[in-house]
Amino acid sequence: MNLTHLSLTNYRNFTRFDIDVPGGVLLLVGPNAQGKTSLLEAIYFLAIFTAFHAEHDRQVIHFGASQEPLAVARIVAEFEKAGRRHRLEVRIIQDNQGLNGSRLRKEVLLDGVPRKIQDVFRLFNAVLFLPQMLRIIEGSPEERRRYLNLALAQVHPDYAANLSLYSQTLTRRNALLKQLYERSGDPAQLSYWDEQLARAGAYLIQARIQAVHELERHAASIHLELTRSKEVFRLVYQPAFDPLPRPDNQISLPMETPIDRSNLAYEMIFQRFLRALEANRAEEIARGVTTIGPHRDELRFLANGVDLGSFGSRGQIRTAMLSMKLAEVAWMKARTGHWPVLLLDEVLAELDLERRADLLARLEGVEQALLTTTDLNLFSDDFVRQASVWQILHGRLESSQEPQPGSIR
Amino acid sequence: MQLPEPVQKLIDAFSRLPGIGPKTASRLAFYLLRTTDDTAPALAEALQALKANTSLCRVCFNITLSDREICEICDDPRRDRSVICVVEEPLDVFALERTGGYSGLYHVLHGVLSPIEGIGVDDLRIQELLDRLKENVTEIILATNPSMEGDATAMYLGRRLAGSKVRVTRLARGLPVGGDLEYADQNTLKRALDGRQTLERG
Repeated sequence: MNLTHLSLTNYRNFTRFDIDVPGGVLLLVGPNAQGKTSLLEAIYFLAIFTAFHAEHDRQVIHFGASQEPLAVARIVAEFEKAGRRHRLEVRIIQDNQGLNGSRLRKEVLLDGVPRKIQDVFRLFNAVLFLPQMLRIIEGSPEERRRYLNLALAQVHPDYAANLSLYSQTLTRRNALLKQLYERSGDPAQLSYWDEQLARAGAYLIQARIQAVHELERHAASIHLELTRSKEVFRLVYQPAFDPLPRPDNQISLPMETPIDRSNLAYEMIFQRFLRALEANRAEEIARGVTTIGPHRDELRFLANGVDLGSFGSRGQIRTAMLSMKLAEVAWMKARTGHWPVLLLDEVLAELDLERRADLLARLEGVEQALLTTTDLNLFSDDFVRQASVWQILHGRLESSQEPQPGSIR
Repeated sequence: MQLPEPVQKLIDAFSRLPGIGPKTASRLAFYLLRTTDDTAPALAEALQALKANTSLCRVCFNITLSDREICEICDDPRRDRSVICVVEEPLDVFALERTGGYSGLYHVLHGVLSPIEGIGVDDLRIQELLDRLKENVTEIILATNPSMEGDATAMYLGRRLAGSKVRVTRLARGLPVGGDLEYADQNTLKRALDGRQTLERG
């Protein structure tokens, strides 16, 4: 996959930005708050159709434009995939004229034709690393589920659809559980929602088992390299509903024990999930909420058997996250047959010299990578010579060093 | 400036109707204000008569004239009393009647099981349906909408009826007549594939 052209209109601090993007490694250089990260976020938008870095998508609309009756932020990308050229356009539209306050909607056009988001998912793949993503390891389990969801939705054909079906069903099932608790009623009404939840949930569980298994394999070997064989990395999936029956008299296994769930068939996961929901029915009615299922899954990151979320040093967590991101790239390539575009924000700042060199060496295998930095001196001369360099100032491309990255239209 | 109270009251009343927003509501109100013929009085009269002169059939809970205890359909001796078609709303009865292809009886639930809206088993005419099974019914057709809530209601009724001798069926789903395969959405097409039928060889 190769991004060849990018054009932004009213996206964050870019009022108008229009540029040819070179292949290989591109360095975006500039002081803080000039728009480097926003540029990466905009490109990532084309892969996940939401703004990763924003609490709400409306925040990406340029402040000056957002006050107009009809405010539109626009991302247009041209890219090449499997020998075909595509033009993907995303419009984030805030309609301020409505009677009930402003409303936000998104339109997506592929090669000039309006399409549903679900139909263009998985067309453009990207992997993004932001320093804030250390939250994935340190933060709440929700961050880790979101991380898995964003990676999986880019790869598995029905993941996004099943995720949305699952959460719709979950809302209704929880409402019914609450209703049964407050007003009583016939618990047999739950059967339908149990089945729907188990069907969509089993898909999510199976996809997550597979993905974690494969990601761990890639990440472990990368991490061994990045840490000079000092750290053995492990990724542990802890499903809130575990389709594997636990051995007797053991509530939970120690985390270090590897559990292989990768051979479980969908039908089996579905049946067991459904049975578990039925078995928990009385308890769930009493609590008025669904207590098991993928919405409560947990994912843990281990280095030499130590849980990084609780005991990792900042440097360790950073390296682990980097290993994960590079693993994501390799995993997507293996799964889809195409290299995703790699987007790395301020990735070198906290790494020591050795690790910097290792990381940069790794990038040579990737088809296209965009890196931001405030300081070009962090990169070796050899590396800079091979890369294209852009200076970003106030949401504009100010100057570029040799070799010429392209022209400003 | 505020609108005179009678006008505002009518606009508010219209706004409460389904499918009518504040703009349409004011347009309707001002239209009625302008008319000089008997449009407005006729409307008022029709609205009053609506509730006063209708009631629900004691058997199937379809709407009927208030001087009848049971509706025309339930009263009709030519109707097949062994089949009951279960629908969500009275309007669904009229839709099915227009097909002219059904000669059994109906049962109107007046809604669907909806956890979000807090509608449970006791809020619908479900017990009344179960009571009707005593009358030599051989088949129940579940004709709730093919939505999440409609399916949930159908499945619930299916389970409740599982112990009885009646045959329980669900309306087929699939492609619209005269439709185009390429325009059908994925889910509909998948359902149509699942529900495919063997072609009779003549």
